[in-house]
Amino acid sequence: MSRRDIASGKRAGAQGGGEGEIDLTPMLDVVFIMLIFFIVTSSFVKEPGVDIVKVEAVTTDACERGTIIFAVNALGDVYYDKNQIPVERAYRLAEAAKKEAPKANFVIQADVDAPTSVLSELLGVIKPLMDAPLCASTIDEG
Amino acid sequence: MRKTNRNADADEAEIDLTPMLDVVFIMLIFFIVVASFLKEAGIEMNRPESNQNPPESDATSIVVTITGDDQVWMENRRIDVRAVRANIARLLASDPEQSFTVKTEPGATAGTLLEVGDAAREAGVKQVNWPAEVKK
Repeated sequence: MSRRDIASGKRAGAQGGGEGEIDLTPMLDVVFIMLIFFIVTSSFVKEPGVDIVKVEAVTTDACERGTIIFAVNALGDVYYDKNQIPVERAYRLAEAAKKEAPKANFVIQADVDAPTSVLSELLGVIKPLMDAPLCASTIDEG
Repeated sequence: MRKTNRNADADEAEIDLTPMLDVVFIMLIFFIVVASFLKEAGIEMNRPESNQNPPESDATSIVVTITGDDQVWMENRRIDVRAVRANIARLLASDPEQSFTVKTEPGATAGTLLEVGDAAREAGVKQVNWPAEVKK
């Protein structure tokens, strides 16, 4: 603990300022990998944005790539992307969504009290665009 | 002499990665924020093609009808929703390859429909068919 130590420390610090830059390459690698991961996994789901009471089901399975989501509430109103829509418009919205993400499948979130007549009509409207069975959203009971 | 010069050049002329790093970080944060890890789960309902034969003409098919007041009918009698699974399992025991169809009448609710679909899947049917409702 003398002037010599302090002096030498100072000297080392001054020298390190030029040479001792942190190598950013490994961090950059990690950041790039994270970036690519998030780009690949992000699915840009448009949520219907309406509160519904889902049915509990024992056989609930994951909806594979179910990212085009319509919701039907207890009154029979159809929601998509936080807006209430008429059933007839569902086809054009579904078509646009399908064009954006050709591998996406359809999901309908139906309230426990939603009338099946509206569901049936909605399903009939989007049926021509579907290439997998409809996924009716439920809660896993088990 | 020249060699030394070139060496010095190579040392100095490193590309400054900072601006790219900034951009990459902003993209990373954007995608983290946007990525919604929302996993929908549910049961699959198949809508048969309308030009197919109506299921009642098919001898080996289980048909459950949900009336407009949410009553569940099967084999010409009314059954409780909770009894659907047992009834379907009994019918499937004789022929496990039978197709299953749930029909709804206007006025039925999605809750009953999905409960019946769930019960059928639990009983072991491969696919729940739900044809379009007949408009009255």
